[in-house]
Order: sequence, then C-alpha cells, then structure tokens
Amino acid sequence: MGSFFILKNKYLLEPCASGEIVVNEVSFVRKCIGADSSHGDLWGKLICTNFKVSFITHDALPKQRFQVANRLLGEHDVPLACVEQVVTVNDAKGKQKVLCSNQKLKFNPTELVLYCKDFRIIRFRFDEAGPQSAKKVCLAIAHYSQPADPQLLFGFEYIGKQYYGSLVNGVDPGGGLQMPLFDRPSEWDREIKRTGAAEWRVCSINEGYVVSPSLPEYVVVPVSLADQDLKQYLCFFTAHRIPLWCWNHPNGSALVRMASISDPLQQRKLDQRICSAITKSHPQRSDVLKSDLDKNLPNIQDIQAAFVKVRQICVIEPFEESEEKWLSSMESSRWLEYVRAFLKHSAEVVYLLEGKHVSVILQEEEDRDLSCVVSSLVQLMLDPHFRSLTGFQSLVQKEWVMAGHRFLHRCNHLKKNDKEESPLFQLFLDCVWQIINQYPAAFEFTETYLTVLSDSMWIPVFSTFLFNCPQQRTENSMDFAKSKCIPMGEEKALRFPPVWDWSQQFTPKDQALFNNPMYVGKGATCVQNGTVKSFRRTKKNYSSTLRGMPSSLRNILMDGHDSLTLTRRNSLVPRLKPDFSQIREVVESPTERFFRDWVSRPADLQGMLIPQLLPSHLALWRLYFLRWVPEASIPKGGPVTAYHKLSQLADEVEKLQSQLRQYKGATPASTPTSNPSAPPSDHSRMYFKAGSTHEPSSIPEYLSSSFPFSPVGNMCRRSILGTPLSKFLNGAKTWLSTETLANEAL
Amino acid sequence: MLLPKESVQDMAKDVTYICPYIGALRGTLTVTNYRLFFRCMDREPAFVLDLPLGVVSRVEKIGGASSRGEVSYGLVCKDIRNLRFAHKQMEDSLRKSIFEILMKFAFPVSNGLPIFAFEYGQVYPENGWKVYDAQAEYKRQGIPNESWRITKVNDHYEVCDTYPSNLVVPVNIPDEELKRVAAFRAKGRIPVLSWIHPESQATVTRCSQPMVGVNGKRSKDDEKYLQAIMDANAQSHKLFIFDARPSVNAAANKMKGGGYESEDAYQNAELVFLDIHNIHVMRESLRKLKEVVYPNIEESHWLSNLESTHWLEHIKLILAGALRIADKVESGKTSVVVHCSDGWDRTAQLTSLAMLMLDGHYRTIRGFQVLLEKEWLSFGHRFQLRIGHGDKNHTDADRSPVFLQFIDCVWQIARQFPAAFEFNEYFLVTILDHMYSCLFGTFMCNSEQQRVKEELPKKTVSLWAYINSQLEEFTNPLYVNYSNHVLFPVVSMRHLELWVGYYIRWNPRMRPQEPVHQRYKELLAKRAELQKRVEELQRDVTNRSASSTERAGSPTRSITPVQTFV
Repeated sequence: MGSFFILKNKYLLEPCASGEIVVNEVSFVRKCIGADSSHGDLWGKLICTNFKVSFITHDALPKQRFQVANRLLGEHDVPLACVEQVVTVNDAKGKQKVLCSNQKLKFNPTELVLYCKDFRIIRFRFDEAGPQSAKKVCLAIAHYSQPADPQLLFGFEYIGKQYYGSLVNGVDPGGGLQMPLFDRPSEWDREIKRTGAAEWRVCSINEGYVVSPSLPEYVVVPVSLADQDLKQYLCFFTAHRIPLWCWNHPNGSALVRMASISDPLQQRKLDQRICSAITKSHPQRSDVLKSDLDKNLPNIQDIQAAFVKVRQICVIEPFEESEEKWLSSMESSRWLEYVRAFLKHSAEVVYLLEGKHVSVILQEEEDRDLSCVVSSLVQLMLDPHFRSLTGFQSLVQKEWVMAGHRFLHRCNHLKKNDKEESPLFQLFLDCVWQIINQYPAAFEFTETYLTVLSDSMWIPVFSTFLFNCPQQRTENSMDFAKSKCIPMGEEKALRFPPVWDWSQQFTPKDQALFNNPMYVGKGATCVQNGTVKSFRRTKKNYSSTLRGMPSSLRNILMDGHDSLTLTRRNSLVPRLKPDFSQIREVVESPTERFFRDWVSRPADLQGMLIPQLLPSHLALWRLYFLRWVPEASIPKGGPVTAYHKLSQLADEVEKLQSQLRQYKGATPASTPTSNPSAPPSDHSRMYFKAGSTHEPSSIPEYLSSSFPFSPVGNMCRRSILGTPLSKFLNGAKTWLSTETLANEAL
Repeated sequence: MLLPKESVQDMAKDVTYICPYIGALRGTLTVTNYRLFFRCMDREPAFVLDLPLGVVSRVEKIGGASSRGEVSYGLVCKDIRNLRFAHKQMEDSLRKSIFEILMKFAFPVSNGLPIFAFEYGQVYPENGWKVYDAQAEYKRQGIPNESWRITKVNDHYEVCDTYPSNLVVPVNIPDEELKRVAAFRAKGRIPVLSWIHPESQATVTRCSQPMVGVNGKRSKDDEKYLQAIMDANAQSHKLFIFDARPSVNAAANKMKGGGYESEDAYQNAELVFLDIHNIHVMRESLRKLKEVVYPNIEESHWLSNLESTHWLEHIKLILAGALRIADKVESGKTSVVVHCSDGWDRTAQLTSLAMLMLDGHYRTIRGFQVLLEKEWLSFGHRFQLRIGHGDKNHTDADRSPVFLQFIDCVWQIARQFPAAFEFNEYFLVTILDHMYSCLFGTFMCNSEQQRVKEELPKKTVSLWAYINSQLEEFTNPLYVNYSNHVLFPVVSMRHLELWVGYYIRWNPRMRPQEPVHQRYKELLAKRAELQKRVEELQRDVTNRSASSTERAGSPTRSITPVQTFV
C-alpha cells in the first residue's frame, strides 16, 4: 500500500522546473471551484515547493473551459511570487489569520485562501486532510512566498541548476532571440543609426558600473559632450544618473531622460550645458524643453493606491452590490484618471517633438519610474517600429530594464518593500492597451500578449523583472555563483532568460495568441498590388455634417507661448452649457489644435498615433481586470469572437501566399512531382486556423470574454459569503491589510 | 445638391454660426423645405453644416438685439446637439428673418404644411414597404400550427385600433372571446404572440395591463385566455407574466383602472416586475445625458456625471428584463406574457430585445427591419408622438426616447457579440438619424391603422428602400451566421458603455473608431486576389503539363511571372 502511494506520488509529482524541490505537502485537499456549493470541487494534493503552490488532481474540471497552458506551471499552480496574501481560516472556531513569514499559527486551518498578484483568489479546504500537514503546508507557503533575500527567489535555483546540468556553456537562454537587449554598445549604435541620430554617440564611462550603479553600462549622449565633461557633471545628478538619450525623431528632435540635479548651486549652469549640448545635436539647432514629470503626474504611491482600489472594486467587492455605484467607484479609484494623465502627458511631449520640432528632456527625481512610462509611450506614439512585437520588447528592455526601473521593489518580490510597491509597469501596459483599443490594427501584438506579459512578472525566473537594475543582476549573480560554485567563466552575470524568450513559458502554438491578425505593419501581410491598394476608406464619417471643420484650424498661428514646463490642464476648453444666453470665446491651446487637426485626418497606422484623450474614450481593460470574475464573463462572446474570425481569414491569406510562393519556386520540369496544392508546412502566425470551406455551425464553446483565461476555479470570492471571513472582507476597505487581519486572529 | 422636390426657401449671407468647438464662423445659411445648410467659405476646405430640419426640436430667439446689432437664435436638436446662430438685425423690419422661415419648415405640422417625406420622390430599386409581410414572418416561425392561428378579427382595426390587422392567438379561443378579452385589457391590446420557439414551442406574447382597478376586477375570459397561452406549450405548466413596470407604478395604475394580474386569479402564472421606469423618467435621463456630453465633457468627473444621468442604469434594467425573458423561454422552455401599461413602449423594448437574443434571423439586416416593422411599427409604438415629427410643441409630455434606448441596447449587445450581427454601428446610427429626418415614411404616424389611412406606402419612401440599396455600407463583415446561437449578454455595468459613436459624435476631438471592419475587408479583398492568382497558376500548370506531354520536346514555356509580396 505504502509503496503504491510513493509510486503514485512520483507519477503525480514531476516538478516541471529545474531546481524545484518539494517543501511540504498535504493530501485529501479540496480545491473550491463552484461559487456557491461544493459541487464540482476537486480533490487532490496540495504541495508547496520552493517555486510554487501546486495542486495535483486526477479530477477534471466540471465545466468545459479554456486556459492557456504555461510550460512552467501546471493547470492549478500558483508561483509563490504571485501569492500576495496567505489567509488561513478555521470556520469552526471563527478564526482567520493572514500568515506572514516565520509566524506561528495557533489553530488548525480548515481553509486556505490565496490572494494572488494577478487578481486570482484561490481557495482550498482541509475538511478531510490531516490537520497538522495542512497547517505545515500553509506555513510553508507563507514562509516561501516571502523570501528574505533576492537570491532566494526561485530564478537563482532555476538558472543555477541549468548551469550544473549544462556542463560548460550549454546555457543560452534567449540566444535565439532576434531582438536587442541593449547590454552591448553595438545595439545602441544600431538604434542610433535606425533613428538617424547622427549627433549622438555611445558612451562607455559606466562600463563595469563604475560611475553609477543604476545606469546601464552603455548610454547614449550628445557628441559634443566628451567623457571628461560627463565625469565632471555626474556627481551633481541624483545617483550620478547623467541624462540618457531615448530616441530621435526623423526631424532631428531628441527625447532625453534625466534625473534631477542635486546641487542647487550647479543647477542653472548644468542645465544650460546639457541643453546646449542637446541643441548642438539637433540638425536645426532647435530648442530643448524640459518636462518635469514629478510636478505633473501622480507619484508612485498615488498609483499604487489607485491600483489597490481598482482591484478591490473589480474582484473583491460583491458583484451585484457594487453594480449601482460602479461608475463612481471606478472614478474614485482614480486609476483611469491616472492612465489618462500619462497618455495625455505623453501626447503633449509628442506634440513638442513632432509639432514644434524641439527636443524634450523628461525630468524626474531619480529618472527610474514615471520617465519609464512616459518615454515608452512617446516612442510608441511616434515610432511604428515599437508597435511590432520585437520593437515593443526592445522598447521595454531599453526604457525599463536598462534604464534601471526597480522591478524588484516595485513588484515587491521580497514582500518587505510595501512602501515601494507600485504598479508602474501595469499602468504602462494599460496605457498601451488603451491605444490598441483605439487603433486595433496598429500593433502587431494582442491584449492577450500584454496580459501574459504582466502575469510573467510573478514568475520569478526572468531577468526582466527580477532586479532593480542591470548592476544588481551582475552583483547577485556573482554572489550566487560564488556561493554555489557555479563556473561563470568570462560571463558577467548568470544568464537568466529574459521574459522575451517566450518558449520558456509557451508552446509555439500558444504563442500565436500574441499575434494580431489585423496588424498592418511592415512585416505583416500587406498587399502591394493595385487592386487591393485602391481599397480606400470610403466609409462616411458619421459626423458628416461636421466635415471640413478641422482644417479650418490651420489658419490659427502656432503661438510660442507654451511654457517651458508642461503643466497639466484639467480642462482645456471651458465648459459650455447648452444654454444660449452667453457667447463665450473658445480658447484652444496649440497642443489641442495640433491634436484636433491630427484627428481630422485619416490615421496612418504606420505613422504618428495619438490616443483620443476624452475621458469618455478611456475604457476599463476588461480582459486584464475582469478575466477571473465569473459573473463578468460573456459566454460565447467578447472581443475574441471577432479575433477568431479575423485570425481564420488572416490564416487563409497566409496559406494562399505560401501556396503562391511554392508555385513560383517550382520549376516547370518538377511540377508534376511537387504538389503545390498540399498544405504548406505549418508555420502559420495565427492561433485560429482557417478550417474547411464550411463555417462551423455553432460557435466554439470555449470562446468567452475571458479567453484565453478562465474564471473556473480562479475566483472563489462568492463562496465565502456568509462565513465569518466574508463578513470581514465586506467591511475591509482594501485588499486585506496584514495588520488588521492579523489582529483579528487571537 | 438638392433632393427631388426639395426647394430653397430662403438664403441669408453673413450669418454667424457659433461653434462650441472652434468659435464663430461667418457664412451663408440656406433653408429648404427639408434642411438647413450653412457654409463658411473662409476655411479651407469649406466648413459645412447640413442637417435635416426634422432633427430640430425647438428654435428660440435669444435675448434682444445685442450691442453689435445682432440677433441670435438657438436650435435645440433631437440628436444630442444644440446649434447657435447670429445675424444682423433686419433693416427692413417687415422682411421675415431666415429663422422665421426656418421655424415654419422645421415644424410643418404646426404650420399646416406637409412633412417632407410626403414630397420626397426618390426612386430606389427596391420597395422598402414590402420588407415586412406579417403572414410571411409568421410562416417563417411556423405559424399557423396546431396551437396558434392567425385571426382576422382586427382586419379593420375594430377590436384594437393600435394593433396590426394580423394577430396570432391560441387556436381554441374564438374571435368572440377575443373581443371580451379586449374589453379587459387597456386600449383593447389583448395578449398576442410575438415569437415562438422553434423547438420547445414556448412563446413570447405581448399585451397591455389588465383593467383590474381598485376593486380587483377579474375577467374569466382573460384568465382562460392566459391559460390557453400556457397550454399551447406542452413543455411547461407554468406561465411567466413580466410586468415591465416597477411594482409601485403597477399598483398606482389601479387608481386609473389598470393594474396587474393577481396570482390568485391566474393559476400557474408567476408575475415578475422588471422595474423599468416610464417615458417621463427616460426623457429626463436623456436630457441630463445631453448636458453631460454636449458640447464638452467635464474631464474630472466624467464617470460620476454619467452615473448621475442614470442613462446606463435604465439601459441595464431594460436589457436585464429582456435577458430574463429570453432565459425563461430558452432555458426554462416556459411561455411568457410581457406587458407594461399600454404595451407600446417598454413592452416593445422587451419583446424585441428578447427576440433579438433568441432568434438569429433578427440579427440580419433584413431580419432586423422585420423586427422593427413588427414589434415597433405594426404594434403601435407611437413614433409620431414620441418623436414629435414636425411639431413645434417641444414640451409635449408624450415625447420620449424609448426607441433610442432600444437601439442603444442593441448596440450594447452587439458590443458584447461583435460577430453575431450582420449589421454594423453605422446601420444603427442611420436608423436613428432618419427617424428624426422626416425624409422617409417609415417612422411616420402612430399605428398601422394610421399608416394605412395616410397611404404611407404609396405616398412616401421607406427607409429600408434606401438602406437596402447600399447594403455594403451597413454590413458587418465579421458576421458569422451560427445556427441556434442564443445571445446571453452580461447585463452589468462592468460591460455597459456609453455609446460614444452616437452621443459624442459631434465632438471634433473624437475620431470614429478605426474600424476593425476596414481591415477585415482589406483581408477579404486580398484573399480574393490571391485565390484568383492561385487558380490562374493551377490552370497554367494543368495546361502546361497537358501540352508538354502532347508536344514533348517543344520549348517549355515559363509560367506567368508572379509578383511576390511577402
């Protein structure tokens, strides 16, 4: 009997990641699935490893569903880094407790609820499980989800094992990636060339991180600034962060980011020097405008508070009860307001670069948070290259990873930087989603891609999200390698895979979910033939009675009165009541005029894209915020039904093209043997393939607005209604606060 | 530029249009018997304002002459905008201002003039009045059948003057009894079939409130009649009566002789109130909405301002009601009776939305036209009164955006199921625009009887003639005609949205959504082209292999050069 069990366990437990070890486990655990009853619940074993919380079951989920599979995780697994709070409950005793690392638990839990960073709420019951083992597993989960040190993050074990396993230098994660990571001078050089930034150069004074630990080893600076000058200036900048070049507009204007100048006595002089160097690098010697982000945008605590509130509204509050005040609750969370503020500020910078032909410096105290969002958004709006998949990834690599965004702290991977936790990156992804939502054919990737990218932050094996800056990666690598006797050879750091190596997580087929069938980019299928090219937008503008208006705006001269610092305007146009009694002058800023003029023209998806900034045009990113909420899931509906149809058509087009290529490649003599009508080797970019000529008679069951995710078993919020915990949750204003809950339990 | 039978009535130079977005524009204003046309040539390209006079709800002169000697006029429009003009005081005080001319033609009914739809004589390839044939539609539903028959009792609109001539009733209720039931239902609007489930035979029937009154009057005939409706569906021994009103309102109606079915009187029937408010509440809600969206949106409190209009809340209640009806019929296989007070506003919204969820036919372009003709027009939604075509009495309490709400609900469902409708957003906007424009006869009058009497099919053009002459414009290329696809939208504020493409379309800061459709059409065109090339090549290959076997040794032709485009 016993041996049978071991065998069975072995069969069941195959840790899918290298370096993974089981810490604790308990059998006869029930995973709650249904909202209101135990019907459909799954029986299995709950395991805590050094990587994840795993639930292993032979039961199949009751409902047919779809959930994209992750190669690093099983169907029911949650990485420990994704666990935000561990709540244990004993409903007989009416007790609950939020477990932290190294804590004691004075009761035997009957229930475990995991609140996850990706908004899932997963619930296990221990009614039939051994009380002591259950308690041990709960404590282990609490302990291991709060590592004391970055090197205890699973990524180190993961990569360390790979070094052992691979003998000499077999590890090459991401080696096949066709995108720059910006850790080499040549990649910066290429970017300089690509953007035509002739008067800028790669500077290597920070090689080995000798001058600034938070800057990348290679930075781009104006040609007119010599290394000597920079070395002289750097001590006046916060954390020695000298100005960093981000991007050049084809008109020669540059986008630069910069930390504040710490010495007020030097400020004026230094400002002048930097500005004049940037001006010298502009072909027209245009001015430089500085945009103070700290002054004009919400700070990281504001953003965190908004995120906590929006999460509260979307997943914690009872669904029906929150309906009535849904809109005003959304407003009071301020999340969309902040999304809009960042988009708007970025659009104003776009106006300066594109409309006023001036260079712009984004200034932020440390240049590691708000600047990342704004500089990336500006580049997305202006440069179609960044709207391709690899372009977008290189943008994140350049403006976030290399620029030293503190992913480790902002993600709060170690759970001890609560004050530093802030979802800047999620905010950025939401901003990107808003643009995608408004211009669905302009991006090569889908909202699924953005969502999966966000989820990857909680799988702590990717170099992208593990560290506060490249230097930290090197330092931690060295320490870890030393302690584990890993031969590093010539390498400066362990080769953690970047998140961009998507094969770590997904099969090629599932990666097809990232591809937007509508994309009209350079690499996309684009017909260069007369018949299709002449296919113009003939659609009438709905507001046809207003046609002709916007060009009238051109008569108004651009004035030069924009202040040097962009200020946030709450309302650019005075509110006009539908009241005729007064004539009011319409005051419009040049920026507004620029936007409106652009909106009046058909959008060139390969050119500049400015999001519509009316508050009515910003929407809640439903896939991201509501995908786990069963009540919000539209069965057989949602945007995916359009995606489904579009993908099939795009796939058909691809197949025809490849068929044509085969014909062309076929020499006349070989025609009879080669068979051009055979389906080509399957390298389709589309997830949904063109089927037979007949449409399926019914819509696929698995399509829902949550696709490719599924709420089933991932949101057990409802079922706790009526229990003492639910009473508590209803009263809680935010995501369970550790202190209050801990105090509750005696 | 003029339509057939359209004629210029007046023209004035040096009129100022005070645009809320770009300020004062000086130009020429023309008024015809159909439209207002303003053109400002100072701009490149010229600024043009072109609106049918039918959309004008009221014209008011604002204040006296200003210091600059200008008089100004405001036009409140039914399509969520206000326009403001100013012009110099007439030197010749006897001459009528162009705005007086405008008032005359904007409100032809009040001025004893014909509505333009009766003059417009454009000929279209299709006669839109033939789109709906009641008998054909009932035949499509499988009626008459063993349980339901088409009665001619209302052929001359004698039983109910707001109902159509063709009515579907249970087989075993003779016409004489129908008349007695009519006596017990407000305005004689007896329960009749709107839709029958092709498999379960569960039905959607509609009517007006029973005339219960304060004393709780009963009618054996009415009770028997509802029992017959229940019996016609063998699958269920229950009947659901959906009263669209809030229960308080339904009870208050007893004072006026109306009321609702008591469950004592109607065995096996369950009464459900759907809490949808009356036309006055809806009118007020739209007024508030207009304030919030036009001309500008207050940036800082957009969502709470929107919430305070309750517009989406009303939309939600209507959709929720329709969803409950559809769910009872589809999942519960139970027949339902739907009514409100008179059964021509909320009832029309509910039955038509439920039918749209239940029956994919109504989600095609022609099917939707049939749905409107049937549930709205033939069943007497009072368009003339609700819209006030050509009538200057803008404060008329009978006006209400009931139909606009319905179209908004359709848009909301289409947002959730982007591939389930054959028509696109532009189709819905066009229907609304022409409901106000008075160019077509479709939305004229209050009932089928009036339309027959006014000879609308003879004297006016149907909107469907225009729409069906250019279907391409209105087609959603993503449409997939899945069979038996019943739509269960998620009726939650989490998914409902303000229809910006309609309510905010006048704001020049808004760009109409880059259509997904556009890209889809491009892909379709490309597929067609590629298919052609592949076929050409295949033919070529076949020919060549044939010819090469026949004439071996002859010089091989090279295949037609193909451009590669990768």
